[in-house]
Amino acid sequence: MLTRSIQRGLRIGAISFGILTYLILVGLPTRIGDAAMPVLAVAMALLFWISLRGGVSKQDVSARAPAPLFTAGTMAGLFAGALTATLIAFFTGLLADGVRLQPIFDKIVPQNMAALYGVMPGVIATEGIPALGWLRQTLFLTASGIVGALLVLIERSIRQRSFPRIPWLRWVPLILPFVLLAFVIWLGMPGVTFGGNNRGTIRLLATMVTIGSGIFALRAARPGAEQRVFGLLFFLAIAYLPFTLDQFQNSVMGIVFIFVMIGLGLNIVVGFAGLLDLGYVAFFAIGAYVYAFLAAPFSSPWVTAQLQSLGLPYNQPLVSYWMAIPITMVAAGIGGVLLGIPVLRLRGDYLAIVTLGFGEIIRLFMLNLSDLTNGPRGLLNIAPPYLFGINFGSPREIFILALIGAGIVAFAAYRLDGSRLGRAWIAMREDEDVAQATGVNLVRTKLLAFAIGALFAGLAGQLYAARQVNIFPENFSLFVSIDALSLVIVGGMGSIPGVVIGALALKGLPEVLRGVDEYRIVTFAALLVLMMIVRPEGLVPSTRRRRELHEDAEPIAGVDAPSALEQLATAEPTATQKAGRQ
Amino acid sequence: MLVLDQIHTYYDRIHALKGVSLTVQQGEIVTLIGSNGAGKSTTLRTISGLLNPRMGSITLDGEPIDHLPAHEITRLGISHSPEGRKIFARLTVEENLELGAFARKDKPGIREDMNRVMDLFPRLRERLHQRGGTLSGGEQQMLAIGRALMSRPRILLLDEPSMGLAPLLVEQIFRIIENINEQGTTILLVEQNAHVALSIANRAYVMETGVIVLEGPAAEVLASPQVREAYLGG
Repeated sequence: MLTRSIQRGLRIGAISFGILTYLILVGLPTRIGDAAMPVLAVAMALLFWISLRGGVSKQDVSARAPAPLFTAGTMAGLFAGALTATLIAFFTGLLADGVRLQPIFDKIVPQNMAALYGVMPGVIATEGIPALGWLRQTLFLTASGIVGALLVLIERSIRQRSFPRIPWLRWVPLILPFVLLAFVIWLGMPGVTFGGNNRGTIRLLATMVTIGSGIFALRAARPGAEQRVFGLLFFLAIAYLPFTLDQFQNSVMGIVFIFVMIGLGLNIVVGFAGLLDLGYVAFFAIGAYVYAFLAAPFSSPWVTAQLQSLGLPYNQPLVSYWMAIPITMVAAGIGGVLLGIPVLRLRGDYLAIVTLGFGEIIRLFMLNLSDLTNGPRGLLNIAPPYLFGINFGSPREIFILALIGAGIVAFAAYRLDGSRLGRAWIAMREDEDVAQATGVNLVRTKLLAFAIGALFAGLAGQLYAARQVNIFPENFSLFVSIDALSLVIVGGMGSIPGVVIGALALKGLPEVLRGVDEYRIVTFAALLVLMMIVRPEGLVPSTRRRRELHEDAEPIAGVDAPSALEQLATAEPTATQKAGRQ
Repeated sequence: MLVLDQIHTYYDRIHALKGVSLTVQQGEIVTLIGSNGAGKSTTLRTISGLLNPRMGSITLDGEPIDHLPAHEITRLGISHSPEGRKIFARLTVEENLELGAFARKDKPGIREDMNRVMDLFPRLRERLHQRGGTLSGGEQQMLAIGRALMSRPRILLLDEPSMGLAPLLVEQIFRIIENINEQGTTILLVEQNAHVALSIANRAYVMETGVIVLEGPAAEVLASPQVREAYLGG
C-alpha cells in the first residue's frame, strides 16, 4: 500500500513537473514577477488536488484514505519540486555563465529566472544562483502537494456530511449570467478604470462567460414556465450585448457567432448523421464567393464581362444582401448534394478522406480560376448589407446579424433533431444496413444531411464575406474545417448548446489569449488533448452522447481509481476512454 | 406470395447464390437450413434488397421487387431481422422499436404495435429505457425481432434467431415465433439449428454452397437421411 501511494505520488509529480516546465518555458514567471513561486505553488496545489482526488466521479473522493493521500501528495510535491528546482538552477547557471539561451528558449531570460527566485534580475547576472533558492522552490511545491492532499480530505468531509438543502442556492447559476452582464456593462462605462490596459480583454472574456453561463443557466432552469422566463430574459440580455460592446469586442463576437452557424451546420452532418466531413469549409467558401459575385460583380473579370455583354451595369451590387441569402444558400446546398452523390457509398475513414479532398478542390478552384475568382488577389469591395438605407457592415451590425442567423439556424437544427428526418439520421449513424431494413431511404437521408449542413454553412459564408469586405482563397483553408470540427467535438457532438460553447471556447478564447502570444496555439492544443481525456463527450454533451460514453464509468467503491492526469501518464485506458474510442 | 426464381447473387466475383428458387405461401413458416457459408443469409439479404441479384427474379404477390432499394421493400411489407442481432446498441429499447416503425406514419397503429411487441416480449417492457447494448443476448434477439415486427410486416425474415443463445431461451424464442405466425405474419426463417427450426416450420429448404439441395414439408426433411446425417448428428 505504501509503495503504491509513493508510486502514485511520483507519477503525479512527474506530470506536474512537465506542466511546470511548460509554464516556465512560456515565460509565465516574468509576467507574474516577484511572487511567481507562491503563485505557481497555489496553482499547483489546485492541480495536485484534482490529480489526487481522482477524476471520474464523486464517489472516488470518499474512497480516499488520509495516509496514502498525504504520502502521495508529499511525494508528488517533493518530486515535482526537486526536478523543477534543478531545472531552474540549470538554466540559471547557464545564464549566469553568460550563455545566451534566448535563440532556443526565447523566454529563458534572467527576468524569468529571477522571478522564480524572488530576486532582482540583476542578481542572476552578477551573483548566479541565489543561496537556498533550490530548497525554497522545492519546499514551496512540496507544500503544494500537502495542501492538495488536504483539499481532497476537506472535499471528502464536505461530501460525507449531509448538509441541509439551501433552497436559494439553486438560483445562483440562474442569476449568474445577469450579474455577469451587469459587470460587462459596468466595465464599458466611461470613467471605469478597472483592469487598466486589459480592460477591453477582460470585458471580452466576461462577455463570453456571460453567454456561456447563460446557456448553462437555461439547462439548469426547471422546464416549463421557469425555463421560458429565463429564456426570454437571456435572449434580451444577448440582444443588448452588441449595443454595449466596443468595436473590437463586437468584431470578435461576430466571428464567434459566424462560427456558431458553421458549427451548427457541421453538427448536423457529423453529430446527427454521423458523416465525418473534413471538407466542410467548401460550403462556407461557396456561400462567401457566391455572395461576392453578386455584391461585387466588378471584382470578377468573368462576371464583369458577362454583364457587359448583356449591357447590364456591373459596377454595383446585382442584388441586395437580403435577396442574395436564398441564392447563396441554394448554391451551397447544391454544393452539398454534389459532394454527397459521389460519397454515398463511402463510410468512415474513406468518407473523411474524400471530403477532405473536396474542401481542397474548392480552394484550388478559387485560387486558379482567376477569370472567375480573381485568383489569389481575391474579390474586393464586397457590399455590406443595407437595411432601410442604413449600412449594416460595421462590427456591431455584423454581430447582430450573426446572432440572428445563429438563432434561426439553431432553431432549425433543434426542430430537425426531433423530426422524422432526425430519427432517420440517428438510425443511419448507428447502422446503415439496419436503417435501410427499417425503411430509411439512405440516399435521400444522406444527401439531405449534406445539403442542409451546406445551407447553413453557405449562410455563414455570406455573412463572413460581408464582414471581411475583401475575401481571398486563403480565408478558406483546411483550418476552417478543422476549427469547425473541433468546436463541434469540444462542445459535444450532436449538442446544439454545445456548438455555442465550443465556438466561444475555440474562436473566442484565442482572442482573449492574444496576450499570451506565440504559445497560445500550443496551450490550446494541450487543453484540447486534456479535454478529450477528461471529458470525451464534450463540454455540453447531448443526453444521448453522455449516455454512450459514461455508461460504464461508475467506479467500484474503495478502488483507487486513477485520475485523468495519471491516465495520461500511464496510458492505461479506462472504461470511459474505451467507450470514447468506439 | 414471395417467389424467388433462379436467383444468382455475387459478392464482387464470388458467386454466392447459384440459382436459388424458393416460394413462401401466405401464413406459412418456411425455414432455410444449411451449414456455415451455404448462402442462407445472402438469400435473406437479397430478398430484403440489401444485396442485388445479378440474375433471376424475386416477386411479391406477382410484382417484381428484385431491383427495388431496401427501404421500399420494407414498405411493401417485408421486414428483415438481420443476423447477429444488429440492434442499435447505443439507443434505448424504446428508440429501437420506434425506428422499426420508421416506414409508417399512423401513430395510433404504432402505439398499438408497440404494446403488442411488449406483450410478446414482456422483458422489453421492463427494459424500455435501457440502452440496447446493455441487454443480454436473448433480450437483444427479442428486441431485433420486436423491431422487425414494428413495421407491421406481412413477411418476417428472421436470420438465425437462435444464434448464441442458451437452449432454454432458444425454445422460448421459437415459441414466440410460432405465436407471431399464428397472429398472421408469414415467416421465412434461416437457421443452423435445424432441429428446432424444422420442428416449427411447415416447409423447409436445405442449402449447400449456394444451391438448394433438398426441399419439402418440414417433417419429411427432418426424416430424410441426408439431413439427419449432415445436421442432426445421424
